[in-house]
Amino acid sequence: MSDARTEEGGTLEQRFERVWSNLPGWGTLAAVNHTSLGLRFMVTGVVFFLIGGLLAMLVRTQLALPEQEIISADVYNQIFTMHGTVMMFLFAIPILEGLAIYMIPKFIGARDLVFPRITSLGYYCYLFGGLIIASSLVLGEAPDSGWFMYTPLSGSAYAPGPGSDFWLLGVTFVEISAMAAGIELTVSILRTRSNGMSLRRMPIFCWYILAMALMIVFGFPPLILASILLELERAVGMPFFDVAGGGDPVLWQHLFWLFGHPDVYIIFLPAAGIVSTLIPVFSQRPIVGYRWLVLAIIVTAFISFGLWVHHMFTIGIPKLAQSFFSVASMLVAVPTAIQIFAWLATLWTGRVIYSLPMLWIFGFLVVFVAGGLTGVMLALVPFNWQVHDTHFVVAHLHYVLVGGMLFPLIAGFYYWLPHWSGRMPSAALGRWGFWLTFIGFNVTFLLMHLTGLLGMPRRVYTYEAGLGWDWLNLLSSVGGFIMAAGVAMILLDIALHFRFGRPAPRNPWNADTLEWATDTPPGSYNFVSLPDVRTRHPLWEHPELPETIAAGEHGLARIDHGRRETYGSDAVTGKVREVIHLPSNSWLPLLAALSLAVVCIALLVRVYPVAALGAAGAMVFLLRWSWVNGAHPQAAPLKDNEPHQPPLHSRTCDGPGLWGMVVTLLANGTLYVSLIFGWLYLWTASPGWSVPEGQQIPLVPLIGSGVLLTLTVLFYHRVVERLRGRDATGLQGKLWGVSILGGAHVALLVWVQMSAALSPTELAHDALLLVMLIYLFIHGGLAVILSVLQAVRVRLGYINSALPYEPVVLRPFWVYTLGVFWVSFAVFILLPMAWGGA
Amino acid sequence: MLSPTHPFQLVLGLVIWSVWFVALYGGLSVGCAVAPPDPAAGALTWLNALLLLLTLATTLLLVHWTLRCWRGASEAGGGTVKRFLTWVASGVHLTAAGATLAVGLPVIVFPPCV
Amino acid sequence: MFPRLLTAKSVAIFALFIIPLLLGGCAGPLSTLDPAGPAATAVAWLWWAMFAFSTVVLLAVVVLWLVAMRRDPDGVSEEAARRLQNRWIVGGGLILPLASVTVLLAFGIPVGHNMLPVAADGEDVLRIEVTGHQWWWEVEYPGKDIRLADELHIPVGVPVHVHVTSEDVIHSFWVPRLGGKLDAIPGRDNVLRLVADEPGTYRGQCAEFCGLNHAHMDFTLEAHSQEAFEAWLEEAHSDE
Repeated sequence: MSDARTEEGGTLEQRFERVWSNLPGWGTLAAVNHTSLGLRFMVTGVVFFLIGGLLAMLVRTQLALPEQEIISADVYNQIFTMHGTVMMFLFAIPILEGLAIYMIPKFIGARDLVFPRITSLGYYCYLFGGLIIASSLVLGEAPDSGWFMYTPLSGSAYAPGPGSDFWLLGVTFVEISAMAAGIELTVSILRTRSNGMSLRRMPIFCWYILAMALMIVFGFPPLILASILLELERAVGMPFFDVAGGGDPVLWQHLFWLFGHPDVYIIFLPAAGIVSTLIPVFSQRPIVGYRWLVLAIIVTAFISFGLWVHHMFTIGIPKLAQSFFSVASMLVAVPTAIQIFAWLATLWTGRVIYSLPMLWIFGFLVVFVAGGLTGVMLALVPFNWQVHDTHFVVAHLHYVLVGGMLFPLIAGFYYWLPHWSGRMPSAALGRWGFWLTFIGFNVTFLLMHLTGLLGMPRRVYTYEAGLGWDWLNLLSSVGGFIMAAGVAMILLDIALHFRFGRPAPRNPWNADTLEWATDTPPGSYNFVSLPDVRTRHPLWEHPELPETIAAGEHGLARIDHGRRETYGSDAVTGKVREVIHLPSNSWLPLLAALSLAVVCIALLVRVYPVAALGAAGAMVFLLRWSWVNGAHPQAAPLKDNEPHQPPLHSRTCDGPGLWGMVVTLLANGTLYVSLIFGWLYLWTASPGWSVPEGQQIPLVPLIGSGVLLTLTVLFYHRVVERLRGRDATGLQGKLWGVSILGGAHVALLVWVQMSAALSPTELAHDALLLVMLIYLFIHGGLAVILSVLQAVRVRLGYINSALPYEPVVLRPFWVYTLGVFWVSFAVFILLPMAWGGA
Repeated sequence: MLSPTHPFQLVLGLVIWSVWFVALYGGLSVGCAVAPPDPAAGALTWLNALLLLLTLATTLLLVHWTLRCWRGASEAGGGTVKRFLTWVASGVHLTAAGATLAVGLPVIVFPPCV
Repeated sequence: MFPRLLTAKSVAIFALFIIPLLLGGCAGPLSTLDPAGPAATAVAWLWWAMFAFSTVVLLAVVVLWLVAMRRDPDGVSEEAARRLQNRWIVGGGLILPLASVTVLLAFGIPVGHNMLPVAADGEDVLRIEVTGHQWWWEVEYPGKDIRLADELHIPVGVPVHVHVTSEDVIHSFWVPRLGGKLDAIPGRDNVLRLVADEPGTYRGQCAEFCGLNHAHMDFTLEAHSQEAFEAWLEEAHSDE
């Protein structure tokens, strides 16, 4: 930041605004601020919700009467596939991410998320991926194999058009945004809380979002891997899911639902977090059973990973295996019940203020509990065998998702409207909106349970008259249109309120959490000064906080240095450990996302040189991004007057970058474990599995490559240990040494790959081996490039004994690379040898 | 040994549960692929016995951890973050123990591979 | 004001759901609630029991919620509030779901056990092989040289083991009035056990989305008396 700026005058707010605001005009596209981007996420999400809703209306129009031909089977299949895809991937997850991105720093008393450029990259990946997916509708080439994309139906033989590719590439592109949000929300919640906000003082909403973020980290990689594999099968012919080549279509189902079921809870948990936030405010008393809620959140987050097979009860796996998943699916009702009764007890012991958000919370309760009860029914295997893939399930999932996500979300929107607009929501129109939506929803979906029990399967574009479904479908369609009217009413209400709403007082609902201590609407920096937090209810116990914060009476109230700063704190106690300096506006995320969009589109039209060009471009922008960090002149160069108590984070050995790296590697590791799962699964369960004779991969050079890697990592580890002891002698030379040694490892690995006798387009076995080798190559290669850059940075003075931050961040990546190498060696090479010998 | 007040205790119990769950499902699948017992034998097979043993051992381990954390909770002072952590952690361990037992119990009812 | 309105509304909506059921709206050629075999009958009973129980739970929770919102909590001491909280969470959050799930499993597991495709000692089982195609069902009677499209014939009262597989994409074989569905997956041989109690014609339908004509991938299953089935077998065999 230029020093000239800081010498200008103005009030404290104005001076903060100059450092924190987005660039003017088109420059706003370079924004990295969480408030701006959170809002953009949510607005984009609403647009996709309307697109998805429109598709739903088309579905209900077609099904209103039997034997209608308004929509052809082909178009209908595209419509229901896109309805599911848009609602799940482009509405539900991103809009909740957006809400979390907007809210979390304000809840924990921080000025921004910890990786602001990642927020921006995430938004653009979401936007571009969403546009690519949505464009398929306009082109008439939308995916038509269902949002679950079961193979072989989605494979090249039965879906030869580009529809499936739109889905696979577009969704994977959007997933980048989910991963980005998952990682930065995790690290932000753990490491940037207000001074003194220990885990037990953290607002309950943050626990929900923390669980959601970590679930994204572990839940999305299986789908990303599955999408990559299926796209490889479609584009190149690697038979991962093709029985003829030793693959198995059921593997897709496992990987998809390994993501798909946790995804339901990824959507539900933040919504439940909204409920847990609003109920105490409108009861004007603390939430009951805070510890129980935390326990329930943790349990839900885990158990929901053990349910995925309940989407696959009819594929013919052993009854005993089904019963494991059946029991686990029922058990997840327990943490949900704990939450519901904790909310009930809060209402019971508080004096409830009736208001529009509470009306939506009530709607949530009725609809969600009904959906939860049918969920327990569906977990019972014999019952599931009857109603699976019928409209009963359609009804159930809409009860859970609309009740469990949309209703609380709208409650939250009404609750936080004053935060965005500075105005209060209306009463009358909002009530109309609720009742129309609530009644329309129940008319549509309550009856649909019966439609399913009467035998109507899902995903049929039409049905015969006289099967007992006619009147039910007609009523469902009528209900659907009533609900659409309700949604229109809500949108109208919100639009009008921006103009006619009564101006909101400060903290209009008398809430207890810090997000209401900002201005409404908030300044780009949230808080002029960062207060200590010694209670779970800061605004109830210190109602004067908004004024003292604005007056700059708390921490980090200086801005003359021109840096964007927030506190970095201990993950458990919340005690401040360092000052985190955050990057300012940047075009790099937009450029990187644009390059990735080029890759995505080029793969879609199969012009591979352009894809390679795009990938290279993305790489360049991302490396440039990593370059403008730490002590780089545009970031936080070493100065004489910089703070030491607490120090800037890039002067420490345990900054947020390290945490971000570790969380990223957890996600990466999940992807890798999914690959191992695929390998072991096909070995044991694939009906046509075959293993070629002889040793395909030359062992000696592979082991040699591994030894080189081991030496590299040991060397690097020693370098970092020295540096942590603030000893940087010969650092540059050592890092060059690491790079050269690592380069030799990669070169040998490439040689192994070239000389391996694999036929990846004929056998799933060989295709998986090739994917594994490429995975190792990418990791080794990236580690070497980053090490080279570190060596150069030492030369430029961005890394030295006072600035040990970056090599410490890179270390886990090297260790991970080493780990996956030897695990791969054991699982992909040694295990089959032993297995084959047995 | 991990201290009862370590924050990782918040998830340890359910991590153990997850690993056990993978072992249970994976063990069943591999067992059925390598040497499937005769369906007529019902639930009285070596595979069921093995899985039951695994389930009981894991449950015991988790109960042990529950008690350790519970003791940790009573030792930590009231109103501290340590007390909070250990309370939640012992709940997590106990829940994991219950979930292990409940999810594993069907091995005494069903034949393994049909 | 709105809570009173609400209870009336939710009762009305429930009535809307229940009344047609009571009026016998459950019949239908594909209705799981009009069972004609032991498996489907057991599941239909399970459904009615679960439905009744769930309705009670839902109404109870909703009523509690409404009361909680309307009541004036004056005079509840902190101590009393804490005891109340624990009681609610333990009672409603732990005991209620655990007890419900236990009861459900106690009834559900035996039902599932009886559906296993395992022939009891000395039991006569008819084997039929069904292969899904886009968008029709190929039906074979092994050893009988009978090959049919979109129709099955079975004897009444004899367990039938339908071996289901697919030639192309995944389909799902389902005769709702007789029992649950089973997916037809390429490369796999899945076995579904069906028994028909009464002679008659039952409709079947592909339940897994399988592409363009998924909606029209139906079939019929005709259950004959033992003698009629033998006669049909004889005739069909000689036709080939």
